[in-house]
Amino acid sequence: MTREEVFEKLTEVFRTVFDDEEIEINDETTSADIEDWDSFEHINLIVAVEKAFSIKVPMGKVTTMKNVGEMVDIILGDKNS
Amino acid sequence: MNSYRYEELKIGMCESFDVAVDEAAFSSFLEITGDINPLHNDRNYAEKKGHRDRVAFGMLTSSYLSTLAGVYLPGKLSLIQSVEVKFLKPVILGEKLRVSGEIVDMNDSVKRIELRVIITNEDKVKVLKGRMQVLLDE
Repeated sequence: MTREEVFEKLTEVFRTVFDDEEIEINDETTSADIEDWDSFEHINLIVAVEKAFSIKVPMGKVTTMKNVGEMVDIILGDKNS
Repeated sequence: MNSYRYEELKIGMCESFDVAVDEAAFSSFLEITGDINPLHNDRNYAEKKGHRDRVAFGMLTSSYLSTLAGVYLPGKLSLIQSVEVKFLKPVILGEKLRVSGEIVDMNDSVKRIELRVIITNEDKVKVLKGRMQVLLDE
């Protein structure tokens, strides 16, 4: 899976979780850029990402990832491992 | 109060407790919410609507799910994230209910459990069913 493919699919996940079809994401996107991205929705986001990509996000990474770029790195790391 | 840690939980675990939806519960709920709808507060009105007594507030019945998660499963470390319920039958003043939950899914990454919840009356008839997502705040 390429980084572009991950971003394409991840964008759909974000739009579904936050119920906003206008959301655009990039490597630098953080919770500060998306109004509803709080600690509770972060949990829903992680669960949705796991289901969409059939991966398990390491427990230690759930709260430490700083931006979408790190999330993509985790997805790619799992898919390509 | 139970105090299960995430690692102690597994799919299929169940907890339940009994509660009476009595006059005190009706009065307290009315005081908190201000829901003065006569179906819940006026016996004559409720009888005219075909019930043998006042009908419990649906949200009063569902409020016991807070106890299910917060006291029983998982207990002390509970942080309720979502609740979805369907009200299946009216609950009448004075009825005794059994509130039950079973773990049907677990997510290790975020330490979240999903409970299938059921509330039944004394005749073992389901009056409420639903799902809850509960985080373990460890």
